[in-house]
Amino acid sequence: MSSHNESIIREPLVTGENITYAKVTDDILVSVENKPNKAWWIGFIVAALGALLWVVSVSYTFWTGIGAWGLNKTVGWAWDITTFVWWVGIGHAGTLISAVLLLFRQNWRNSINRSAEAMTIFAVICAATYVVAHMGRPWLAYWIFPIPNQFGSLWVNFNSPLVWDAFAISTYFTVSLVFWYVGLLPDIATIRDRAIGLRRRIYSILSFGWNGSVKTWQRFEIVCLILAGIATPLVLSVHTIVSMDFATSVIPGWHTTIFPPYFVAGAIFSGFAMVQTLLLVARKVLGLENYITMFHIESMNKIILVTGSIVGIAYLTEFFIAYYSGSEYEQYTFINRFVGPYWWAGLLMYGCNVLMTQFMWFKKVRTNIALSWIFSIVVNIGMWFERFVIIVTSLHRDYLPSSWAMFYPTIVDVGIFIGSIGLFFTMFLLFLRVLPPVAIAEVKLLLKTQSFEAKKKLIQEGHQHAEEIEYYTASLKKYDVLTESDIKELVK
Amino acid sequence: MDSNKKYWKGLEELHQTPAFVEKKGSEFTENIPIENVLNEAGLSTKTPRRDFLKALGFGVGAVTLAACQRTPIHKSVPYIIKPEEVTPGVANYYASSYKGQSLVIKTREGRPIFVEANTKALFAGNGVSPSTQASVLDLYDMSKLKGPRSGDEGISWEEVDKQVIAALNSASNSGKQIRIVSSTINSPSALAAINEFTVKYPTAKLVVVDAVSYTGMIKANELSFGKAVIPQYRFDNADVIVSVGADFLSTWLDGIENTKQYMANRSHTSLKNGKMSRHIQFESGLSLTGTNADVRVTVKPSEEGPLLIALYNELTGSALPNALSENQKAATAIKLVAKELNQVRGKAILVAGSNDANIQSLVNAINVHLGSYGSTIDLDNASNQYKGDDQAFAEFLREANSGLIDVAFFAESNPIYEYYDSKSVEDALSKIKFKVSFADRENETASFANIIAPNSNYLESWGDSEAYAGYYTLVQPTINPVFDSRQFEQSFLIWAGNTTSYHDYVKAYWEQNILPQGKNWYDALQEGFEFKGSRGGSAQSFTSSVSDLANQIGTQSKAIAKDIELQLYLSGGVGDGKQGNNAYLLELPDPVSKVTWDNYAAIEPKYAESLGIGENDLVEVKAENGYSIILPVLIQPGQAAGTISVALGFGRTKAGKAGNDVGKNAYPFVRLVNGSLQFNNSVTISKAAGTYVLAQTQTHQTIEGRNIIRETTFANYKTNPAHGSGNTGEKHKTYDLWNKYEQPGHSWVMAIDLNACTGCGACIVACSVENNVPVVGRDEVRRRREMHWIRIDRYYSFENDNNEAVTREGEVNRLSDLSQVTVVHQPMLCQHCDHAPCETVCPVLATVHSSEGLNHMAYNRCFGTRYCANNCPYKVRRFNWFNYWNDSRFDNYLNNEFTQLVLNPDVTSRSRGVMEKCSMCIQRIQAGKLKAKAEKRPIKDGDIQVACAAACPSNAIIFGDRNDPDSAVSQALKNERVYYVLEELNVQPGVGYMTKVRNTFEA
Repeated sequence: MSSHNESIIREPLVTGENITYAKVTDDILVSVENKPNKAWWIGFIVAALGALLWVVSVSYTFWTGIGAWGLNKTVGWAWDITTFVWWVGIGHAGTLISAVLLLFRQNWRNSINRSAEAMTIFAVICAATYVVAHMGRPWLAYWIFPIPNQFGSLWVNFNSPLVWDAFAISTYFTVSLVFWYVGLLPDIATIRDRAIGLRRRIYSILSFGWNGSVKTWQRFEIVCLILAGIATPLVLSVHTIVSMDFATSVIPGWHTTIFPPYFVAGAIFSGFAMVQTLLLVARKVLGLENYITMFHIESMNKIILVTGSIVGIAYLTEFFIAYYSGSEYEQYTFINRFVGPYWWAGLLMYGCNVLMTQFMWFKKVRTNIALSWIFSIVVNIGMWFERFVIIVTSLHRDYLPSSWAMFYPTIVDVGIFIGSIGLFFTMFLLFLRVLPPVAIAEVKLLLKTQSFEAKKKLIQEGHQHAEEIEYYTASLKKYDVLTESDIKELVK
Repeated sequence: MDSNKKYWKGLEELHQTPAFVEKKGSEFTENIPIENVLNEAGLSTKTPRRDFLKALGFGVGAVTLAACQRTPIHKSVPYIIKPEEVTPGVANYYASSYKGQSLVIKTREGRPIFVEANTKALFAGNGVSPSTQASVLDLYDMSKLKGPRSGDEGISWEEVDKQVIAALNSASNSGKQIRIVSSTINSPSALAAINEFTVKYPTAKLVVVDAVSYTGMIKANELSFGKAVIPQYRFDNADVIVSVGADFLSTWLDGIENTKQYMANRSHTSLKNGKMSRHIQFESGLSLTGTNADVRVTVKPSEEGPLLIALYNELTGSALPNALSENQKAATAIKLVAKELNQVRGKAILVAGSNDANIQSLVNAINVHLGSYGSTIDLDNASNQYKGDDQAFAEFLREANSGLIDVAFFAESNPIYEYYDSKSVEDALSKIKFKVSFADRENETASFANIIAPNSNYLESWGDSEAYAGYYTLVQPTINPVFDSRQFEQSFLIWAGNTTSYHDYVKAYWEQNILPQGKNWYDALQEGFEFKGSRGGSAQSFTSSVSDLANQIGTQSKAIAKDIELQLYLSGGVGDGKQGNNAYLLELPDPVSKVTWDNYAAIEPKYAESLGIGENDLVEVKAENGYSIILPVLIQPGQAAGTISVALGFGRTKAGKAGNDVGKNAYPFVRLVNGSLQFNNSVTISKAAGTYVLAQTQTHQTIEGRNIIRETTFANYKTNPAHGSGNTGEKHKTYDLWNKYEQPGHSWVMAIDLNACTGCGACIVACSVENNVPVVGRDEVRRRREMHWIRIDRYYSFENDNNEAVTREGEVNRLSDLSQVTVVHQPMLCQHCDHAPCETVCPVLATVHSSEGLNHMAYNRCFGTRYCANNCPYKVRRFNWFNYWNDSRFDNYLNNEFTQLVLNPDVTSRSRGVMEKCSMCIQRIQAGKLKAKAEKRPIKDGDIQVACAAACPSNAIIFGDRNDPDSAVSQALKNERVYYVLEELNVQPGVGYMTKVRNTFEA
């Protein structure tokens, strides 16, 4: 390659033939502009039944008291906080994809960020319901915020990680929601422009008067960038603070300084797995294979592999520190994860999170859709058990053996857990119906049509050296985007 | 002057416009479409939007107003004439007594709410038993009868008297017998009243029968010394205590007095003086006393007699037959024990739990040999607590069956339930024409009675008792009878034709017989007791033939030495079952097994394994007489192999709402042999279908090698008092994350002597009563949700073949012999840490530290995240999972307004969703401070006593102000034995524990 200074041609992020801006819009809005198909209805009914189960279980809990759950004097948190942390963790991928990858100019994120952000918001909603539901007196939940009050000089305890947690989660939720909605504006405007009647009015209101002018786009870009800047620290802060719910305590298995990075890695790990779970299905059902491509799947698998390995190292570190600390309580807790009555939970945690993800080193595994999907489920099972092990296994046998106890979930515990998954999917499926599951405007940025036409013109008008043409066509061949005839036409 | 002025309504009138003229005649200038509205079309006109909104607004407003219920009215009726001594908010204390123990009853606004031992009392002045502590709840029992009854009908007392007197007269006239069946009555006034009755009706006779009797001991003393009494024991005079199956610290005779005496030689004050008694226990099941023994050896019930023969042989050098031969461990122990005993003659005591006259006679012989009489046993001053005569009751049944008895009264006796042969009691009752029960509820026996004449609770009664010879205690009512009940003594007086009120009767009796010169009735009422006797006693000699005894013991032992031997015992809480409906006692964990709400078959682990029985199994226990019950299995280390132990007092069918069908009735396993009840039997057991989870408050039994329990031996203690406490060498330097605050005022702390704590659980009940701690029921305990603010952790440890302590579960499971177990009891409550982990994590500051070193809990601020409980290393915080005081599922306890009267008004009852825990009886601290302030003096040590410490019969709990250098607790915490549980966490707990010291044989 001699003198030319063109950037190399990268793998196209949108595949398929005859991809035009119009086609992109048409493809993505299929689910929004048409009546739902059977698959959606089945999914929705199942999810809605789950959500109903959630409503019933939570109502029952509120009516009778937390005693409806299986908690006891020794294990004061179990499925509630386990699932809370699980959902918060899942919520992490959204922000990471939308904010951090935006700042790093990872354009491939454009195809998946919308769904991932939606997922974040719904996951955080699920998590927040647990925060309220696990309280003994949930009607007083607002006491967690330092609101001026008539109770005298009562204030919150700023030493308590639960207060930090309330701030962290609410900030995270707000920023994620705003970021998500701002990103949605041009797309809502697109729907508006194509809709008629009431739909048009509704989307018109929702689009905040988007008019597509250059100034609008410019402001849009700036707002997105600013929000990305604000959201980026949150990726680290939220789960750091969630981890401090445990790390600042004195309970062996909780009292661990490695928790913040370990929890953040675990959160990204489980978040990407959840994105994978959702999108692998959605791309098929909604026909979005050209937008969410194998490249995306593999990229996400790589992130799962990296974060899973970080989590694995964190596990090893924990064990080493337990041994090295010389604290018999600490040591017992970690041995207990393997040989105690909850050995099976420990096995699921270490097996699913560390051992299974190591298969991702193989490209064949990474690019196998079925396997990816199964692994994404496995990861989230493993991550649920990680929190279960940290919370329940640590608590159930702490300092004084006289108080050691087992935790047995009740039907209400199970109902709320399954119900929260139902709630999540209900929200997600409704989202697919009313808002574009892929960011239309951002995906359009990825299309190479214009540059290809321009290049073609240059070549055909003879402005290019032969070696440049050769390099260019070779690149095109390499990524297999163009058919033979296209290339022939190019070089004829 | 007429005025011509004219006023117009308007210009229209002035000008008389045509329109005005036209409309002048009608009432309304504009036509009102009233017809339109009223006809059909008008009614169906569309409601305009504004009207709709108006209607909606009015409707919502009206409904809102209607829904605004007025704040519920709680009527508080002020006193019209205020009783002189009752000030709302200020407690009154009255001296009274229960079962012969002098007590102080705390009342608030006329409600008795707490009982404490009378610390000035001569006997049992340290504390109370769990059952005495819980007795206050019996007063507020909803299952009690509201008045006298005949069959299912409520009748008046006049009617009762009429019917009873008619029956009595007809019986007297026809020469038929009248019997009063009662458990031990040691009240001199009651006996006098009954005497009056028997004078009036000469065929009347008192039959005294106790559910758990001491007839054998009384008979033995009669045979050996010619005195048919139970002696007073003086464990405080003994250097060596040997007990063969006697649970003397809990249920054997006066456990509270025994504990007090026992601790005189074992508590931290005694250890300070370098003195500690040695206690050797031989027994089948692991009893509370056994857990406190220095040396404990398991024997089967059938080996108890042979063991005593062997001990006699060893001590005296004689060679009686039938001595213990098979149990090697026991045989070795006997040699050591005999050597020990011979060294301390005159300062030794041997007690046996058996109710067999022969065994007790042999015990007498040994005690005579040891010179115990006159020093550790006082036969001259009897104990009157159990005077039941099993033979007399058998005779009663025989007479009744042959139709000799026409009228029978049952006072505090429930033979249908308590007697081993309830069928024969039933038959006998059917032959008695007229039966009167004084039961306060329609219990098992009362349901057969013609008339139930409910007796008043002791808190509503006048009375007295003479539990020990010459030691008189008064019973003073602290509340008017709540229901239409009458003391049975009063009934007897009335039926005897004496119309004096029983109060006057008791008063007169005391003035004539008991009160010394210069002391009046009111002095006695204030003091609560009067002691006229002496303590001491003379030496005795033993003249009967010991070889005859040995022969008979041999035969008797062989009778039960087959199949599996069953030992029947009393649990420290439920006892003989008389308080069977007392929810506090039912939920009190058994001191050893920590089981609540059930009895069970205790089986040694390895033996159970050999039988193929495991935890949560059910077994059918079947005796030769055909009686069988299905019981859950409790795997009990320290149980003798080849035996099972089952608690009596359970399985009541007519105790009341809480107590019905709790556990199974084991009384039918009792045998009547040689005229006394034997609390052992030979049974077979077989696995029954199904599983059953016992509601245990503790399921992990060992300390896993952790240094939370620190102990040493007496020998080591003597060389270094700090031995085993971790107080030797330099302490770790500690660092502080928080700012240090000066605490110039008080600093409330506690010291707990592990050597003194017997594990009885009186503190648990006391705490529950004092602090309105809810009873949650079996299911909730199974879910590990008991609410007790103080618990007693009980840990087992075992020895391996190298005599090393084994405390890790995994290693314990590999041991071959688990019958030799050592036990430690550790009361565990909020440690009021100065660096409390719970405080930092509460998001709403609901739990905060006081300037006096206490960890406060602000219930109203708590919204129930439970983080504090999770972060508590001691796991002493308790969460209100439900609204326990107002939830139909917890109906056994506070779910009615009457029982709620037992609540301490100084302590908030907690609602659902709120955390709670030990407050160190903050209400008592405040009351003490107020009192001192009112009296314009500083608080002095002992002014404030927390409920658990007040109840503790062994003074194991010492509460006080650390900032007062002279306080008992400051002194105690200076003890070399003091350590803090989990002190390495630097949470700086406020409760110091003193090491457990065992006076074991030096190997």
